[in-house]
Amino acid sequence: MSADASDLSLVRRVQRGDKGAFDALVLKYQHKLVKLVMRYVRNPAEAEDIAQEAFIKAYRALPQFRGDSAFYTWLYRIAINTAKNAVVSRDRSPIEYDLDRSNEESYDMQGRMKDSETPEGLVLTEEIRSTVNAAIDALPEDLRTAIVLRELEGLSYEEIAAAMACPVGTVRSRIFRAREAIDRRLREVFEGGLGRAEELG
Amino acid sequence: MNEELDSQLSAMFDDELAPEQCELLARRLSRDEQLKARWGRYAVIGAAIRSERGVRLNAPLAGRVSAVLLAEPALVTTPGARPTAVRWWQPLAGAAVAAGVAVGCVLWLRAQNPLAGAPLSAHLTAATVSVPSAPVVPAAAESYVVPRTPAVRAMVPSTELANYVVAHSVYSSPVARRNLLSAFMTSESGTAAEEPPDEPAVHAQ
Repeated sequence: MSADASDLSLVRRVQRGDKGAFDALVLKYQHKLVKLVMRYVRNPAEAEDIAQEAFIKAYRALPQFRGDSAFYTWLYRIAINTAKNAVVSRDRSPIEYDLDRSNEESYDMQGRMKDSETPEGLVLTEEIRSTVNAAIDALPEDLRTAIVLRELEGLSYEEIAAAMACPVGTVRSRIFRAREAIDRRLREVFEGGLGRAEELG
Repeated sequence: MNEELDSQLSAMFDDELAPEQCELLARRLSRDEQLKARWGRYAVIGAAIRSERGVRLNAPLAGRVSAVLLAEPALVTTPGARPTAVRWWQPLAGAAVAAGVAVGCVLWLRAQNPLAGAPLSAHLTAATVSVPSAPVVPAAAESYVVPRTPAVRAMVPSTELANYVVAHSVYSSPVARRNLLSAFMTSESGTAAEEPPDEPAVHAQ
């Protein structure tokens, strides 16, 4: 199994003129990219703007991407440069989130208060998060362990198989079933009003 | 929705699908909006599990990027972006350049020392002919001091040594003979250099 084959297959399609494949790459990496950019700017809305600019820059630069490095590494590099340039152009200094556990809560409140532009977005984000967490809690133990090891710890299927003492095929099946169970609950939330909320956000 | 297809989508999301299956699924994913929405929700699930602070899980970022790119022309990969293939003539060209340099070096060395490549008989003939009174200036000389008259004597091995070399040539290899002759010419040159010049030296250009 070659790492990054998934991204590379999408990248090759974009390079051949298929814009729809780029949507899939944006969907996959948008949250990670915004999180990365938020190391440089505090405001989530501004971070989203910078991430959007980074994605557009990446799209325009894709003809030069040869696959020497992983796509996400290349994309992250573009995002970091875009964020740094944005900070410099607005005459700000980068903000390093070097917080210890004791003031994590106070930071959380500050961050929420600053996100005054999109209060609906915060509420809906919390709703999504609580729905996912509730769905995970309702999963059977083996499915929960598999999806958490994958998403939270970032382990490969092979590593999860070793940790859970089961074949790789079983891991794949457990992760899929876990996602399906969570997705069913999530779809209800999206169809129940988040679609409209997205337009507002 | 086909369960096997969804299972493949989940594995592809985790980069755990075989490349050939990725190719097929990527094609479908780029066209099927329902599949793309599911793919997007997989990303939301991951972000929610990781509790990425400050990240809006319902942000319409993908839609905004897609709207901007709608006005962009579709990409066409430039030839320069493709991996460069090794052309069949490149190794031959390298060998030709190397051979050219080698031939150039040989010719240059010959021009610098025309007697070095000459056969031994030429040396011996030069040793026995009468020495001309006019100064002999090698054609390849660039810049050095040339005595006007008798210094040429130093360039010609004496008859005595020439006879010695001829007498022993049967027992020595051509390389050894050449070395011996060179050594003698060097010693003769050294002797000549110690002698005071008969006339003021001139610079040959």
